[in-house]
Amino acid sequence: MNTKTIAQANTVSLQGLKKWVLIGIALAFLGLFIVIPLIAVFSEALKKGIELYFASLTEPDALSAIKLTLITAAIAVPVNTIFGVIAAYAIAKFSFKGKNILVTLIDIPFAVSPVIAGLVFVLLFGSQGLLGPFLEAHDIKIVFAVPGIILATLFVTFPFVARELIPIMQEQGTDEEQAGRMLGANGWQMFFRITLPNIKWGLLYGVILCNARAMGEFGAVSVVSGHIRGMTNTIPLHVEILYNEYNFTAAFAVASLLAILALFTLVLKSVVEWKSRKE
Amino acid sequence: MGITIEKVSKAFGDFAAIKDVQLEIPSGDFIALLGPSGSGKTTLLRLIAGLESLDSGKILFNDIDYSNKTVKERKVGFVFQHYALFKHMTIFENIAFGLKVRPFKLRPSNQEIKERVYSLLKFVQLEHMADRYPSQLSGGQKQRIALARALAVEPEVLLLDEPFGALDAKVRQELRHWLREIHEKLNITTIFVTHDQEEALEMADTIVVMNQGQIEQIGSPDEVYHHPVNAFVYRFLGRVNEFIDSENEVTYIRPHEVVLRKSAQGNSVPAKVLHVHSVGSLVRIQLNRLDTNALFEAEVNTEKYQEIGPLKKGDLLYATFSNLVAFGNEQKEALTAIL
Repeated sequence: MNTKTIAQANTVSLQGLKKWVLIGIALAFLGLFIVIPLIAVFSEALKKGIELYFASLTEPDALSAIKLTLITAAIAVPVNTIFGVIAAYAIAKFSFKGKNILVTLIDIPFAVSPVIAGLVFVLLFGSQGLLGPFLEAHDIKIVFAVPGIILATLFVTFPFVARELIPIMQEQGTDEEQAGRMLGANGWQMFFRITLPNIKWGLLYGVILCNARAMGEFGAVSVVSGHIRGMTNTIPLHVEILYNEYNFTAAFAVASLLAILALFTLVLKSVVEWKSRKE
Repeated sequence: MGITIEKVSKAFGDFAAIKDVQLEIPSGDFIALLGPSGSGKTTLLRLIAGLESLDSGKILFNDIDYSNKTVKERKVGFVFQHYALFKHMTIFENIAFGLKVRPFKLRPSNQEIKERVYSLLKFVQLEHMADRYPSQLSGGQKQRIALARALAVEPEVLLLDEPFGALDAKVRQELRHWLREIHEKLNITTIFVTHDQEEALEMADTIVVMNQGQIEQIGSPDEVYHHPVNAFVYRFLGRVNEFIDSENEVTYIRPHEVVLRKSAQGNSVPAKVLHVHSVGSLVRIQLNRLDTNALFEAEVNTEKYQEIGPLKKGDLLYATFSNLVAFGNEQKEALTAIL
């Protein structure tokens, strides 16, 4: 073997070494911060037996928290899906003044701390707030009630669908819609037969992410909720209360629901990504 | 259907895309809108289709004002440059689309739709493609499907935006003949946009030469080629040599009109060969005039080349420019503005 090939072999093994070191670091990091905590959640939840685990999930306060979380997501996700599609359509398919401002506005919930978002609702709708006297006079409760939680969740989750769709729709342009128009399709036909089928995987992806966040949101909801047990507690808030009361098993049991949701979301997300790549 | 464009203008912001255009298109005509990019030809086509709205003027279909009619009411078929086939639909569904979106009362039965789609597929010679998706077709096949889809709704006018622009040279040549045949068979008014003068000359009955949002000349391929009204049309329709004399007068001659000889004759000009290259049956020769030092190109067929050649760099020839064309100063200014 001459020196040149030795040098080559060395570079090759060096490349190989680099690859495995980098992969090792990434895996170690993931293990430390994601896999171990995930295992901890389930092991803590099940430490005192499966019966206690289920008992923690079926006690009335837990059930009420689960119910509220589901209601919140059932409202926030469809509303933001419709809003997201409309906003993305407007931004991708039309040119108008102030388009960049609209795009920036959509990003605000990503940029702003959720706590501040919650606080804004309190300042707006709370009894000391701007609209407080009006709401009190008409006996409408928003803050420290279910409507506040839904509003805060809507705010925090509204970029997901729009953000996912804007680049997809921009890439597709308006050619197919114009062709549809030339062939006599009306607005609804164009949307349901051309636009929607073209964005379906991106849309589903956005909805999945939006749902995961809607169910898992803590900060904004915490500020507006008021933490009334059995009334205005969502799953994440309920976990916090249980934990603060040193009821670790129950806290981890309820938290495991969110962990399961996360895993389910990841699987669904991978399926959608795989499907959309296949097309 | 006959189409009349009456004093039509259209601007996008500050950019005047179409300026006061006047054009009469007789029923059954096969017409090319020819011009460089930015000349307004595509805008004019889209205005006729109803995809853009007019700023001023009128568009008449069979002498009835259609300026404010919707795309649907115009009954025009449109073929897009990049086909714009519906990616998520099969070829069958693509062609059936225009029939399926009709209101219930006007919609043909499923059986009728099927028959119509298959007869169109047969017409464009792609019967076996019905169940494929657009991504599985070649560019030429996609363009034929796009045409079948446009024809499915039985349009009275067919509009094509750079229909062969995205295809390679050989397929383009085939499709030109094919589209010409289709026009002969259906005899519907057909308007296509192109920036390729050869395509326009080869296919169209009438050529509309456009530049900077205005029409420079309307005429048969023969008229616009042999009797261009100004320097722009002359330059745009073929290869050209340009000579400027001492009084700044510009004259033009096409390379194939330059006569080359080995010996001086009459008012011939001596010239030195700079470069020779053969393109199929033609030979193009770059030369340098010894009297004015101007560069020019001559084009001869291989027979003629054998008479005067073989040539190499530095050889001396005598060129006669017998058909020099001039368009006067007015056009010259316009031309410098364009160039």
